[in-house]
Amino acid sequence: MVTLNVNGVRHEVSAPDDTPLLYVLRNDLELIGPQFGCGLAQCGACSVLVDGKEVRTCVTPVASVANQEIITLEGLPARWAKQKGLSADEAKSTLHPVQQAWIEEQTPQCGFCQNGMMIKATELLESNPQPTLAQIKEAFTTSGVSPNLCRCGTYVAIIEAVQHAATIMAKGR
Amino acid sequence: MVTMSEKTASVLGPTLSRRQFVKAGGALVVGFKLIGPALLKADSAKPATFKNSLDPTLGSSWVEIHPDNTILIRTGKSDFGQGSTFTAYRQIVAEELSAPFEAITTVISGDTDRTPDGSGAFDFLGHGTPNIRKAAAYTYQALLDLASEKLGVPKDKLSVKDGIVSGGGKSISYGDLVKNQQLKLTIPVKGDLTSIGGLDIEGNPPMKPVSEYTIIGKSFKNSIITSKVGAKETWATDVRLPGMLHARVVHPKTLGSTLVSAGSLDKTKFPNSQVIVKGNLVGVVAPTEWEAIQAADQVASGTKWTEWKGLPGNAKLYQHLREESDWTSAPVQKSKGSKGDVGSALESAHKKHSATYQLSYMKHAPIGPTMAVADVKPDGTVHIYTHNQNPQALRGEIAMMLRTTPDHVVVHSYPGPGHYGRSNGGNAGAEDEAVLLSQAVGKPVRVQWMRADDMQWSTQAAAAFSDVQIAIDEKGKMAAYQIDHYMPAMQDDRPVGAVLAGLPTMPAPQVHSDSVTSTVNGIEDDWIYAPVPNVMERGHGTFQVGQKASPLAVGLRDHSMRTPGQFQQNYPRELAINEAAALAGADALQFRIDHASEERIINVLKAVRDASGWDTRPSPRSDAASTGSTPLRGRGVSLMLRSGTYWACVCQIAVTPSTGAIRVEKYTIAVDPGIVVNPMQLKRNVEGGAVMGISHALFEEVMFDESGITTADWNSYPIPTMADIPEIKVVLLHNPKVGAYGGGSEAANALAAPAIAAALQDATGKVIRRLPMKPAYVQAALKS
Repeated sequence: MVTLNVNGVRHEVSAPDDTPLLYVLRNDLELIGPQFGCGLAQCGACSVLVDGKEVRTCVTPVASVANQEIITLEGLPARWAKQKGLSADEAKSTLHPVQQAWIEEQTPQCGFCQNGMMIKATELLESNPQPTLAQIKEAFTTSGVSPNLCRCGTYVAIIEAVQHAATIMAKGR
Repeated sequence: MVTMSEKTASVLGPTLSRRQFVKAGGALVVGFKLIGPALLKADSAKPATFKNSLDPTLGSSWVEIHPDNTILIRTGKSDFGQGSTFTAYRQIVAEELSAPFEAITTVISGDTDRTPDGSGAFDFLGHGTPNIRKAAAYTYQALLDLASEKLGVPKDKLSVKDGIVSGGGKSISYGDLVKNQQLKLTIPVKGDLTSIGGLDIEGNPPMKPVSEYTIIGKSFKNSIITSKVGAKETWATDVRLPGMLHARVVHPKTLGSTLVSAGSLDKTKFPNSQVIVKGNLVGVVAPTEWEAIQAADQVASGTKWTEWKGLPGNAKLYQHLREESDWTSAPVQKSKGSKGDVGSALESAHKKHSATYQLSYMKHAPIGPTMAVADVKPDGTVHIYTHNQNPQALRGEIAMMLRTTPDHVVVHSYPGPGHYGRSNGGNAGAEDEAVLLSQAVGKPVRVQWMRADDMQWSTQAAAAFSDVQIAIDEKGKMAAYQIDHYMPAMQDDRPVGAVLAGLPTMPAPQVHSDSVTSTVNGIEDDWIYAPVPNVMERGHGTFQVGQKASPLAVGLRDHSMRTPGQFQQNYPRELAINEAAALAGADALQFRIDHASEERIINVLKAVRDASGWDTRPSPRSDAASTGSTPLRGRGVSLMLRSGTYWACVCQIAVTPSTGAIRVEKYTIAVDPGIVVNPMQLKRNVEGGAVMGISHALFEEVMFDESGITTADWNSYPIPTMADIPEIKVVLLHNPKVGAYGGGSEAANALAAPAIAAALQDATGKVIRRLPMKPAYVQAALKS
């Protein structure tokens, strides 16, 4: 039995300790943000935040993240609401600025990799609220265990969305 | 006109019937009627007869107008990330109906039991008149007829704005027109539902004049982006059925290995797993995904396969294609643009360019490996839940495999990772395997391919080579152009699990001229240099590499991929035109303008010239060099016509001769599709295509040895990262006088390769005539 703290909720899961976190999130907790892309930590489609850092769930044994703070795409709005001290009502109708920007900029094409892109963007903007173009490229290319890959080629739209999200976050809403 | 039992009204050939005073709701339901014998025509690749899942006289339909003024549309085309079904299709329908964009609240796409027309997820804009546009136009006429009767005003005195019909001082909304009535508009269609093309709506209903457009041309947002970004969308990967088991497939050791014996399961470690063997198909099912993965690994390590070596391997690929492939069985195709006496013109050429160009195999490489959930019910009906580009064709293929008829098969379509053409003929992989495993265990089964399965057992874009000869006259003009394209069959639609299991499929690619699965190599790249007096373009086709040698009849299976065939033909042409310009001492962009007569070609070239800051001069540049460790800069241009859209591209690169590394610094593309339906969506599609094009040009090559594909993951099949992308500038040329909307989301991937290769020649004076332009190949070319 492993105790997981996902999106602010405690879960007792019975999966074997070596089960990759991805399968527990998707199959046991029925979260759909993280996607299976490669199973090799080469693409980033499966990412979540663990204690604020981007982690590839496809190679992370579930027992290794017991009791740590895990945030999936589903948990981004509440994370933002908490950071900004929004009321419960406000929080319900608010997306994370990264998600807002991803919609405003019409970033995804097929969208399968974008979970990882939004997780990476959130990690970046929480530590660097006004990243330069070079810093954005560095974040999505060399900061993680592999580059975050997009087969549809949406990198321009991702850069524009990160810049847009930074603007929304600077305004505080 | 067909007379129906209820009151009917003529709607330009189609018929409108109605029953008034329906107690609840009411709707105008636009169904369809099948005409002509084509639908039931027996075909060797299709069952002789089958039933539609839609009753053409009932609600399954293209367009529904509801009493609350909302509108629902249905299309058999699945979205692949282009967004066309959620943006352009809504805009087109809203425009033809003169209804608000927002009134179209529901779009149903892809499901075989809930959509009318089939076909693949390509050519969404249907050369300007996709089915959905015609359906909307017929519906508009029916609504006008209803309003005319209701208001007592002649049809030609009515006008419509925002879904409200007005005339003679009176007005009524669409919702009120259909309230308390059951209306049924029947429109004519023809075709074969489970074929690659699906059904087409017949006839020519009046269309709204382009000058009156108010909705087309605006950047409406894509509704599915909102639900995907908010983690609210159900993806194919999220489908979970009660009692569902997880499965992995143990694919053969090579592309020609047959099964000797399947490995056994360690029941102490995997007490709940099962091994299923059907012919050469080995599957492992388990209650949890992690157990399925581990159990399949264990079974794989104990499974014995025959050895096979029947492929040429990368190093000998082009030698094999040139010297060992059979180019004589498929009839040579000649282009429509071929004319004049090329032979004499080449003989008397002032200057002559002769060269061969080579393109490697490329993977569709979806960012998530293919997967499917199948549920084979005790009564033999089959439900498949997957992401697919042609669900109706998949339905036909699964029915054939099970020796049943398509009415026993339902394909439910969900979003998934884009795979750029791989399933436009029906299957992407895994669907048939899920069906066979579900049938074997009597429960729903989810088959998820792993990354290596997807790289090694899926189809690929065919390798190709072309021989080009160009004659330049004394005035520096092209006097003759001759190209011979050689490419193995580019589309094998056999589901590979069915092939492995020894079950019925359509035949492997063979010589016949009426199908995309033929070995015949048609000319896909429209000739656009009209003033060239002598032109000869020929296509030569053959069987897939290894197809005949493999005991499994597998080999290197090919499948059309984004801009199929034309990519392979446009790259050699456009690079050769650049070389011809260099030979003539002419500027490559002006050289194209000088060999064009169509205004749209000249305009798109001028637009890309201005936007890219092109400096007019011959290539190579005067200080070109092929040695040293300092980056050298150059620029090149390319041009293409596809699906009614004109494309021109300029790439500016830096190449470091000592390493062979090419970096694209600036990429400029101009697009004239005629009417731009949605500028924002088109721009995003083009940007994505630009990046994929750079990927094809610089990175993508399927590696294989004598036994199979050795490319297995993203390290062995790299694609660009964010750090690899240049500054990208997209110029949209809205050209309403064309009166039609050309395709925009597909073809941008084809422009980069010839422009980058031309830029390399500009920078170095050396030409590399193979794709991809990997550093090692570039280094070798620079040393030659």
